Amino acid sequence: MKQLLYIEMDNCIGCRSCLAACTQCGGHDERNRNYVYDVNPLVNRQTIPLMCLHCVNPACARSCPAQAIQVTEEGAVLSALVEKCIGCQNCTIACPYGIPKFDEEQNLMYKCDLCYDRTKEGIPPMCASVCPTNTLQWITEEEFAAKQEKHRLGKWMSSRLPENPLEGETHVKINLPGILQGTEKLF
Amino acid sequence: MGEDIKRNNDKIPFDENNYTHNIRKAGERRLDRRGFMKTMVGAAGIFAVSTMPWGAIAVKELTGLGSKSHPKQKLANANDLKIGEAIEFAYPGEHDAALLVRLGENEFKAYQNACTHLKCPVFWSKEEGRLVCPCHHGFFDVKTGKPTAGPPQRPLPEVVLSKEQGAIYATGVKRYET
Repeated sequence: MKQLLYIEMDNCIGCRSCLAACTQCGGHDERNRNYVYDVNPLVNRQTIPLMCLHCVNPACARSCPAQAIQVTEEGAVLSALVEKCIGCQNCTIACPYGIPKFDEEQNLMYKCDLCYDRTKEGIPPMCASVCPTNTLQWITEEEFAAKQEKHRLGKWMSSRLPENPLEGETHVKINLPGILQGTEKLF
Repeated sequence: MGEDIKRNNDKIPFDENNYTHNIRKAGERRLDRRGFMKTMVGAAGIFAVSTMPWGAIAVKELTGLGSKSHPKQKLANANDLKIGEAIEFAYPGEHDAALLVRLGENEFKAYQNACTHLKCPVFWSKEEGRLVCPCHHGFFDVKTGKPTAGPPQRPLPEVVLSKEQGAIYATGVKRYET
């Protein structure tokens, strides 16, 4: 049963639980690997969580001269392998979403790897498991298809459409703001 | 879902020259550490087994099982050879020149006389009391066959003798040992 991470950004209340969870996750060395952005700074309070979108054809991995960024069979794009990464920061430049971060001290790139140790066993990633508002959802393909059907997500879904803002097909699905307008939410 | 449009970015492999061959985790290692170790141990085993013929040869040599036996060959009657004289003969083959020297009443020594330096024929010098190689002034001790001076580094191969009813017979050639 393949599951995917879905970001329903209208729910986000900017609580930064995902950042805290990522920071406290084992092996992350007290550094969070995701982001919470203001959508319209100084205009409204809407925020969006953003972590690696796990492209099908990742620009970061393609740009890496040491081939330190690997794509797993499940489609997760892993963080740089410590023993391969040479700290050239090509990936930080190549990524159209600005996801990879660079650690000056360790001379190492690090980024979200979709909590691969968890998701390969079917456990949701840390950020999704702590999100209080259901912004980050770990859902099956069927649930995702139902969402698309319900909200006509095709119009808004961020990948695979001519007007879509993303570079290519991604494994993490995202919706665009406004998609839930007019629907009453119970959470 | 609307129309299913595939764009250039979704094409794998990408439509360009890129040198990224190794970003699929599943295809990263054809040979993992354990496989590597198995390969190494297997190769070591194959090498070990493949050296066994030489081991067998060495065992044969060292235990004397494979010591060549040459036919007995009469060289001379003891009385025909004066003390301090030498005669030439060929043993075991017709091209293996050898030298029989009588040193005392019952002391005979025989050596294959191809010099161990460059195969010149070594002769017995009665005046000097030693075996001499004329080509490069190599000298051998007649009692042991070991080189005493000059270029030769190895002793002359000694021919094993036996005395029966007043005749000297060659029965074999001693193994060369360092």
